[in-house]
Amino acid sequence: MWNARGYYLMFLPVFIYVLIVYYWPMLGVRYAFYDYSIKNFEFIGLENFKSMFSTKDFWRAFSNTLQISVIKLLITTFTSVLVSVFLNEMGNMFAKKTLQTIIYLPHFMSWAVVAAIFTLFLSKSSSGFINETLKSWGVISKSIDFLHSKDWWRPIYYIINIWKETGWGTVIFLATLSGINPELYEAADIDGASRMQKIWNVTVPALANTVLIVLILNLAKVMNLFESVFVLYNTRVYKVADVISTYIYRESFMSAIPNYGYTTAVGLFKSVVGCILVLICNEASKRVRGRGII
Amino acid sequence: MKKKVLSVLLASAMVLSLVACGSEEGSGDAASTGSEASNTTDSAATSTDTGSSDAATTEPAAAEEFVLDNLYIVVDGTLTATVDSGQAEFEAQWEEAVGEKLGHPIDLHINQIDHSGYTSTVSQLLATSTPGEEGYPDAMIMSASMFREYSTTGILWDMADAYANAEFQSRVTLPSVNENMKTADGKLYGFAPTYGNGCVTYIKQSWLDAVGMSVDDIKTFDDYYNMLKAFTEQDPDGNGSDGTYGVIAAGFGKLDEAPFINYMPEFWQGAYPSFYQKDGQWVDGFTEQATIDALARLAQAYADGVIDPDTEEAGTKQAREKFFSNDQSTSEGVFTYWAGTWLRTLTNNMSKNEVDDDLGDDRLVQLPPIKEIKDTWGGYINREAPVWVITDDGDGDNTREQAIFDALLETMLDGDRVQTLWTYGAEDVHWSIHAEEFTTNADDPEKKKDYSYEEGQFHLKQSPNDPNTVWKKNHLDAVLVIAPLTNGYVDNDDLVTKGNQFFTTNCVDAPAAAACETLTNVQSDLVDYKKALMNSVVAGEMTPEDAIADYNDEWGDTVEQILSELNQ
Repeated sequence: MWNARGYYLMFLPVFIYVLIVYYWPMLGVRYAFYDYSIKNFEFIGLENFKSMFSTKDFWRAFSNTLQISVIKLLITTFTSVLVSVFLNEMGNMFAKKTLQTIIYLPHFMSWAVVAAIFTLFLSKSSSGFINETLKSWGVISKSIDFLHSKDWWRPIYYIINIWKETGWGTVIFLATLSGINPELYEAADIDGASRMQKIWNVTVPALANTVLIVLILNLAKVMNLFESVFVLYNTRVYKVADVISTYIYRESFMSAIPNYGYTTAVGLFKSVVGCILVLICNEASKRVRGRGII
Repeated sequence: MKKKVLSVLLASAMVLSLVACGSEEGSGDAASTGSEASNTTDSAATSTDTGSSDAATTEPAAAEEFVLDNLYIVVDGTLTATVDSGQAEFEAQWEEAVGEKLGHPIDLHINQIDHSGYTSTVSQLLATSTPGEEGYPDAMIMSASMFREYSTTGILWDMADAYANAEFQSRVTLPSVNENMKTADGKLYGFAPTYGNGCVTYIKQSWLDAVGMSVDDIKTFDDYYNMLKAFTEQDPDGNGSDGTYGVIAAGFGKLDEAPFINYMPEFWQGAYPSFYQKDGQWVDGFTEQATIDALARLAQAYADGVIDPDTEEAGTKQAREKFFSNDQSTSEGVFTYWAGTWLRTLTNNMSKNEVDDDLGDDRLVQLPPIKEIKDTWGGYINREAPVWVITDDGDGDNTREQAIFDALLETMLDGDRVQTLWTYGAEDVHWSIHAEEFTTNADDPEKKKDYSYEEGQFHLKQSPNDPNTVWKKNHLDAVLVIAPLTNGYVDNDDLVTKGNQFFTTNCVDAPAAAACETLTNVQSDLVDYKKALMNSVVAGEMTPEDAIADYNDEWGDTVEQILSELNQ
């Protein structure tokens, strides 16, 4: 170590930088143990956590976060796999590339723009394209309030997510598919396998490991759900749409005089759960692919 | 060896620079609130002390020499001289005028916050900095609801004495505006330079003509409702298909901002869905029969399709823009909005979008309060005025706060130069008394309008950010102000005058907003809950009675607590 002291010395500024920029702000978690609002800063121990665990809105947000995140993850992964397989089967390269480009594009749109587009499209008013079209086709007689209905909000949210993220989700699966040994397909041809049989017996098994890894990596991020919900939800669907991050945001920034101590406590709880999920996923990753994610 | 020396020097330099960057005191630790010496304001006693100083040690004699040389104010969109519309010139002229009055230079720092995020940004500013830090607001604008919530925090300065001794007192024509804001023990935490103003119902004349109605026929809620139905069903825009609506607003009720009911007064009628005083006792209006009836009316109208569904999520901007949109096929015939200057603004915007050009300034008619409103409130609601507040640094010494009052609020109503700045904006930028000629919409022969003024004639100029419109006003409305200008500068816009006259003859004062500790703590959650219930009822997802029962189950105990605090 002494012989490498020059390198350690050179590393020192970076280390200090990391401490100051990344770790020093983390000291803010101490506010979770304070009553911290305007002109009030008082140590209250675990009171914020007691208050949090006795609040119905918090548990509702926690439950919604897990449900929405996990279902979204499963649905978008499934559709990505499905689209990847279809794309892989396409013989016309021009059509394949064109389709890929088209389905990638929504990923690069901000959630604010996506929300604006879908809010307009799904509006219940006479300017709402979907409702007016369905009515003109005779499918419905009365406009549906898609984004304000507790029954419709989640399905619509998943559909929007599929529209936005499926294309991008195919990237990793297409990379895996391109690595499948062509001899496997040739062997299947010799065995007289149909196209569907080749997909089911060659392509899908080859993808299984990647699917599992993608699921594990994304499972660690289930608590990080904010922007997509924030831009699409409203007071009428809080029961099915409010998630931890939007709950923290509302308590912090929509109150005239917020208690930052309480919202820090909720944020800390979210981080702890996220941390546990990362550790679980790390362990799962070690078992599945022989190495962890951290 | 050279490399090692170089790396040591490099590392040392970086470490020192980083340590220096991170060494600043006062990182937002609220524990130090109120105990730090000002670096935005100088006092003879503390000018050399920039660290932490106990307020109790401040020498009174030295405090008297307090000199306010920096003034940080936080404003919302009601300061219309924005950064893009001549704010720099306004600021420079204010500094010059006030500097002359005070006898020393003063630097004005305006922090103009987006109107929609104003409340949350202000709370962050106050929570993350302390008096004396750069950017900490010395004074700011607050809506009546926000003001009531803050009045219990101890962060606002009691300006009762400063107000009583202000020079403008002799010219105040509406003393009740500020007198009514005093607490039971005579404290005054906010200053309203104008009365509140309110909303009136505007109807498109062309749509009335199209369905064969006249504003004079609309006397009762049934008349009003029939008009909305006609606007929805009788193709008032004449395009041959459905798509129009009777009315739009920014929410079925504005439950987060007093007076809550002013955007849809015909539906709410005598209801008041918040805490208010009734026969000397505070009550929760949300649980009253009047609110249940109002929700039922709204639900019926929503089911009948006469309320534009966009109302639920629309902000004021979206509602306005849909009302005067150049696409009238999905627009509405009725819009209840602010009186006076907004009549001109709405008319101008319709003109800009070429809506009903043949009607000129008669595009919109104002609906007198319907019978049900007259029988309950007595007229349209004149909201509690927005106020200016001064932050109290908590040092027990009033010299800083008095200096802020003198520089900002005392001069704001000086009747002359500074008041003109707040009323009309900067001289020769927003208004002028010099001879000039200009033309708006010069490229459009149909809309082109020439203006010509003689030397010495007060007039408003073209808007700095839109040469096709004439500037209207700055922060203060000349008609609403509690102490009028004495220099004779008056903008004679007939439409604005007509709008203001209409409102003042048809309005009543809003009930005082409630304020107590529990309400302050739960306000945002309570409003969210009520809003969700209101929207669910209007959308037909539950009955008004079920909604109120749900509210009582969920919030009953808290409401009891609030009422007991208010009625103490």
